[in-house]
Amino acid sequence: MRAYAGTFAVSCSREQSKGARTLQREHQLNQFLAGVERRALRFAEIAVRDRDEALDLVQDAMIKLARNYADRSDEEWTPLFYRILQNGIRDWHRRQMVRNRVMVWFGRSSAPDDDYDPVAQAPDPMGRTPDEQIESRQAMQTLEHAVSELPARQREAFMLRTFEGLDVAGTATAMGCSEGSVKTHYSRAVHALREALGEHWQ
Amino acid sequence: MKKPMDEKDLAVQAKALFDDSVEQLDAATLSRLNQGRHKALQEVRAARPAGQWARWVPAGGLAAAAVVAVVVWQGAAVEHSAPAAGSAADFEIMLSEESLDMLEDLEFYSWIDTANLDSDSDVG
Repeated sequence: MRAYAGTFAVSCSREQSKGARTLQREHQLNQFLAGVERRALRFAEIAVRDRDEALDLVQDAMIKLARNYADRSDEEWTPLFYRILQNGIRDWHRRQMVRNRVMVWFGRSSAPDDDYDPVAQAPDPMGRTPDEQIESRQAMQTLEHAVSELPARQREAFMLRTFEGLDVAGTATAMGCSEGSVKTHYSRAVHALREALGEHWQ
Repeated sequence: MKKPMDEKDLAVQAKALFDDSVEQLDAATLSRLNQGRHKALQEVRAARPAGQWARWVPAGGLAAAAVVAVVVWQGAAVEHSAPAAGSAADFEIMLSEESLDMLEDLEFYSWIDTANLDSDSDVG
């Protein structure tokens, strides 16, 4: 009987520690997502050129990460999260292509609005003068346009490496390809951007 | 003529612009991000066990069923043990030599019994 009571007590203790671990994990995941969500939104926004769509994509990525990878180590979360987000963005582009084909067939066009500027209406929290804000926004708009014009894999490599600061290995995990491919895509992206932005940036 | 930026400068300037645009996100957008994050965290909570006692519910049910089974079995055993005492007495009678003799002359005793009844009726 004592043996059973002991087993029960040990099991209860394990349950308590497991519950505490889960709570701690939830707290860590919350911190991770809170730290990454804004950048992820801008990341997705540049890729799909629509804030609402980007918000949906980021939320889906957060849910999938929490559902499937909450027990992974903190170091794995960043590349995993961006891989999920990338997959969502690719699926979104596929759906858009199909939608555009259907629209063309029906004689309508659903091309993205080139005048789209998600930052234009936002107040400046950094206290810059209107001229500085305009200059910064124009530069970002030019950069976004140039980045969005890149082939998908080059765009992914450039944004993950430059905007998110992932190393080559992390970028390879996020993109689901080899490190050599990451280097190639990144190099081509930078070359293309230098050509495209050379007139505007110095 | 302007020269294109080198790779490092381009990356630095692009990152600075990106960071700047992240900082300029409006409150409504941040609120929606917050809601999305909490929705995601609900997935973790949903995956968490209901409680430390929940795991013992099936074991407790089995234990209760076992206790009921033991009680029922014991009751049945008591009921069966009462006739067993009577059976022992019957065996004692049957194993005695007199009883065996009686069994051998069963027809004789039956005739006597019938004869006694007849004589009783004659007397009456």
